[in-house]
Amino acid sequence: MLLPDHQYLTVDSLSDCLKALRENGERAQVVAGGTDVIFNMRLKLFEPDVALSIRRVAELQQVEELPDGGLRIGAGCRLVDLVEHPLVNERYPAFADAVRAVASAHIRNIATLGGNICLKTRCWYTNNSEQWRQGVKECFKTDGELCHVIKSSSLCHAINNADTPLPLITLGAVLTLQNADQRREVPIAEFYRKDGMDHTVLAPDELVTHVTLPPVADRTVFLKIAARQGMDFSQAAIAARAAGTGADAPQVSLVLGSISMAPIQLDQPARTVEAQGLSDEAIEQAVAQVRAELGELTSLYARASYKSHLAKVLVRRALKALREM
Amino acid sequence: MAKHMISLTINGDTYDLVVSDTQTLLDVIRGDIGLKGTKRGCTTGACGVCTINDSKGRAILSCMTHVLEWDCESITTIEGLESNGELDAIQRAFIEYGAVQCGSCTPGVIMSAKALLNAHPQPTEEQINEAMSGVLCRCTGHVKVKEAIRNAHRIREASSHAATD
Amino acid sequence: MPPPTDPQAIPAQEAELSVVGKRQPRLDGPQKVTGRSVFTDDVVLPGMLAGKILRSQHAHARIVRLDTSRAEALPGVKAVITAAHAMGMAASSTESAGEASRRRTGRAIKLKTGESVFADQVVTYIGEEIAAVAALDEATAEKALELIEVEYEPLPATMDSRRAVKPGAPQVNPEFPGNVWSEDIDNYGKPDEAFESADFVVEGKFEAGVTHNLYAEFHVAVVDFSRPDKLKVWTPTQTSYLMQHSLAPAFGLSLNQVQIIHLNTGGAFSGRGAVRPHHYVAALLSRETRRPVKVFSAGDEEFLIGRALGKNRYKTRIAANKDGTLKAFDMSCEMDGGAVGNEVGYFGWMAGLCNAWVFDLEGNRFRRKVILTHQRPNFLGHGGMMVSSNCAVAQLVAKVAKSLDMDPMDLLLKNAVEPGHTGLSGEVFASCGLKECIETVRRESGWDDKYGKLPPFHGIGVAIGAMASGAKGAFKHDTSAAMVRVGEDGLVTVYTGIPDMGQGTHTTMAMIAAEVLGIDANDVQLIAGDTDLTPVDVGAFAQRGTITTGNATRNAAIDARNQLAKHAAEKLATEQHNLVFRNGRVIRADDPDQSLSFKEVAYATLHGMEGRCVMGRGFFNSPLPYGTMAWSFDAQVAEVKVDPETGQIQVLKVTVAHDLGRTINPLAVEGQIDGQVFSAMSQVIYEELVTDDGLFLNPSRLEYKMPRTYEMPEISHHMIETHDPYGPFGAKEVGEGPVVVTGAAIIAAVSDALGGTLIPEMPMTPIRVLKAIRGSELYENGGQKP
Ligand SMILES: Cc1cc2nc3c(=O)[nH]c(=O)nc-3n(C[C@H](O)[C@H](O)[C@H](O)COP(=O)(O)OP(=O)(O)OC[C@H]3O[C@@H](n4cnc5c(N)ncnc54)[C@H](O)[C@@H]3O)c2cc1C
Repeated sequence: MLLPDHQYLTVDSLSDCLKALRENGERAQVVAGGTDVIFNMRLKLFEPDVALSIRRVAELQQVEELPDGGLRIGAGCRLVDLVEHPLVNERYPAFADAVRAVASAHIRNIATLGGNICLKTRCWYTNNSEQWRQGVKECFKTDGELCHVIKSSSLCHAINNADTPLPLITLGAVLTLQNADQRREVPIAEFYRKDGMDHTVLAPDELVTHVTLPPVADRTVFLKIAARQGMDFSQAAIAARAAGTGADAPQVSLVLGSISMAPIQLDQPARTVEAQGLSDEAIEQAVAQVRAELGELTSLYARASYKSHLAKVLVRRALKALREM
Repeated sequence: MAKHMISLTINGDTYDLVVSDTQTLLDVIRGDIGLKGTKRGCTTGACGVCTINDSKGRAILSCMTHVLEWDCESITTIEGLESNGELDAIQRAFIEYGAVQCGSCTPGVIMSAKALLNAHPQPTEEQINEAMSGVLCRCTGHVKVKEAIRNAHRIREASSHAATD
Repeated sequence: MPPPTDPQAIPAQEAELSVVGKRQPRLDGPQKVTGRSVFTDDVVLPGMLAGKILRSQHAHARIVRLDTSRAEALPGVKAVITAAHAMGMAASSTESAGEASRRRTGRAIKLKTGESVFADQVVTYIGEEIAAVAALDEATAEKALELIEVEYEPLPATMDSRRAVKPGAPQVNPEFPGNVWSEDIDNYGKPDEAFESADFVVEGKFEAGVTHNLYAEFHVAVVDFSRPDKLKVWTPTQTSYLMQHSLAPAFGLSLNQVQIIHLNTGGAFSGRGAVRPHHYVAALLSRETRRPVKVFSAGDEEFLIGRALGKNRYKTRIAANKDGTLKAFDMSCEMDGGAVGNEVGYFGWMAGLCNAWVFDLEGNRFRRKVILTHQRPNFLGHGGMMVSSNCAVAQLVAKVAKSLDMDPMDLLLKNAVEPGHTGLSGEVFASCGLKECIETVRRESGWDDKYGKLPPFHGIGVAIGAMASGAKGAFKHDTSAAMVRVGEDGLVTVYTGIPDMGQGTHTTMAMIAAEVLGIDANDVQLIAGDTDLTPVDVGAFAQRGTITTGNATRNAAIDARNQLAKHAAEKLATEQHNLVFRNGRVIRADDPDQSLSFKEVAYATLHGMEGRCVMGRGFFNSPLPYGTMAWSFDAQVAEVKVDPETGQIQVLKVTVAHDLGRTINPLAVEGQIDGQVFSAMSQVIYEELVTDDGLFLNPSRLEYKMPRTYEMPEISHHMIETHDPYGPFGAKEVGEGPVVVTGAAIIAAVSDALGGTLIPEMPMTPIRVLKAIRGSELYENGGQKP
């Protein structure tokens, strides 16, 4: 499983990088830590003509303290640096937990936040070797017109399996997207699309340069369930946030991940506990409202019924954890 | 295919190399340079047998990174842990505590342990589990690996006392 | 048969052991921790080419067109081969298993004439070899594979053994109509009478999923066949001897023209017991190009060709009396043999026997049916089928106890076999510490304070087992031979053909030789892993290493010792039998002040009038006509917690007591036990190849789940020493006995955590646990254990 032929381009500055992206268009693939890009290049699922490395772009690797008490984190920051960063841990513990929950120490030592945010959706019909894939029909990701996991679907149902976007959504993080001409600010809550193929609003010539976190004093939590602890993608994960104290929770946000093509922001369950507080009864009522918001589930990586079950378990656990904080 | 000149320092030795765009750090360590201690495993990040340490002493999967990223960098492989013919404390701990069986994952497991000890000379249980979950060792079930890591500092201290005596 | 009296025994010497029993670090430790140990993928030979194999992407299809011309034309490609290059070659390694069965039962397992190296016209499983390429480098070889054009005409496939036997199911092999490869019934004792006279019968079903052995070192072979009269193979293996026997006839060579070099084997776990198609492919490519060739299996390929366990479905009945006497077992198993069913049936037989060894039964019946499907050909997992068959049995034994309101420990003690017991198939347990094992784990696990007293979703379970230490069967002989050379400097070299796949056998052999010669094990070096240099050894399987190769090494060391003793006795003016070799000295037993150093004796033996070069020779072959001399016994208690919300199982603690006869190296024994606890836990909770119509969906080290550091439980080891009369210094196996018990203990503990619900399937993935919870009395009782 060697890497396919390609040109490996390293740039030292953001402007060179954006220029190169513009020039190469869809022929290029950004490589940050490379832990997902190289994985998929070995499988020949990604066969870019140009792999554009942003590892040496220092502008993307800063953690800046903002005057309002928030943080502005460069997309090129390695996960390990965030795990070890005192301000990240102090101000955004749920986010720090999510970063720590990604893969293994080995991978976090090289993988970046931007890479995690932009992580392509995953599916076991595509994330296998080329020889293996030739045995199954082409699907949306391999230039076909089919989704193996929901055969009747006109969409790709590959899973958005990234951990860090969940707390970032609850925290109200804003992404800075930039191309050679301009820059735009997109709340991460609006970044993802419910389509396994084209899973973000990022344009081919754009780069995520920064993640801006507003100051947050609320209670927050991140929980992940995986087949094993350490070194595994989530079977389901949740980030939750609540204002107030004790059972009083005037503002709540709940985001589930790894069960569908995009993170799912639960609406009704959050409104229920906002209105009724974090009592056991209210929590159970919220839990009962979860399934309706999950949409169509697949049996990718875990059975659909298990995923919807885990979603409820996580909502219950997260809300109870917030109550105890 | 285009070729590039890079300079890479491995275990203190600097190599000037001509490499191609598609080569990973692992390919060059094992192939061009011929240091075979670093093993080729799944090459997709899940088994850890290709682990080396970067200049900060961190555990890096050499299969998951283009060698072109390592121009002018300095790394340590399993062959670089000995100094003056003396095994590193973690290597001795692995032998003494029976943390080696088939040996196929051992170089990657030791380089992972070394990275942990670089950061935390006396790691907690949680730190050990966290640092070592990225490698797979079916033979030992990680039990004696953990024991060796827990005891490495004792071996290191014993040998530094011996040296000063 | 009475146990042997050892003609070679040296009572004065062996009254007090000075090497055996010490925590001896592995002799190859320094090589392995520095990365100097050479594994097959590290071998680079002058002019070596890279080989790659094109594999079938269909479970069942006709090859309508196979065009290799574009691949051949690619610059850098040196050979492209297909079925045409391997005509008339049988890649079968199964004769031996068939032979064994014939000798045992008087009839043969149906044997296919041989699995072919490449599919010819029809492919019968995904991953089957179709063509192969040798090229200057891997990249060129990978490109060449893409240029081979194959046109398939897909044929209907049968992927499930239950459907495969239905009328009208697609046929896998025309020689086996109805897809039944073999069907056997083994009756031991009087099962029918026992079932009729029993007070009651419990029964249950159990299924085990498809696995992979997941050793750290991938499948790889380097072959140099550039000389027509010498075939050199570097590869990880459990048995170079069987490899020679398979490869030599296939290429028309004599045995000695085939040289197998197994430098280091990166784990085996029962999965490297035979030659496989990639070995033949590498040899064919090398013969074709007259250059050495390396074939390394990448990524998912490893899972396609790694022959591990297929789907096995058990039905088990146990007959018992109200006083807690277990009377008989009746087990049947449907085994998915995959597309080539050759080997699994034989090992299924082992699974049926193994369950019964530990109990004093009146009867035992085991029916097994090997069914062909268009799946990967199946073979063995770590612990063979015995891990799953013991899971099936242990739960039912616990159920018998529960229905009688008896503590399972008491039930086990009541029925456990004792030393001197003759089993239903005539086996005699010369040594047996089973009851002591049970009592030990009962005490050490805190069983009496916990059993029946743990809260819901927290459980404790016990299981027991026995394992054959070596078994004659693969050939008429089961010989291991060894040579022990004593250098004039007193340093000793042991030559052995047994592979060390991590289990530590080489260090064990050094310790055995050192014990006999009274020297330090670190003064022994091993020459191993090269059939041109080392004497015959059937290999490292069937738990024969310590007992068979150990006895061979001991015999060779005694021969060397006798040669030295002759000289030393003269010098010390005494008889040879009055000498003790210990702590680097040769000592007069009757007058310990009179002694010589071992080095001095070694030197003088060569540098004397006789000029003797000390070379001890020894071999060992079981004195029995077939079967096993010695059995290890094992009891384990597992404690688990089940998360009723997520269905995840956490194993808290495993307490192991293993009767291994004698502990040669405690450090290695603990390591063996740890690894087996890990492996069994992994098999019963995590490991499963998920398939979609025969296609493995998770063929990777990331998606094929195995636990890692966080999941490991506390392990408490207890070695029970019963000094087996056959074993070297009384030692028996510890290489596979524990793994077949841990899994069953965990399953029993999970069952206990769920209020006694029978667990129907392994691995116990979370969704299956949740299902079991919903079906349990615990659920009906609102979370209270019944
Ligand atoms: C064995 C294994 C286990 C894993 N486990 C987990 C896990 O538990 N949880 C998890 O979330 N992930 C996991 N991952 C996936 C991956 O390693 C992480 O998501 C990681 O954070 C990706 O970061 P990276 O910098 O390596 O990304 P890269 O591989 O460099 O890039 C990933 C994607 O993002 C794009 N990209 C990167 N940076 C930018 C940017 N600044 N702007 C625009 N696009 C960009 C790339 O083009 C690419 O498409 C695992 C991977 C492996 C191999």
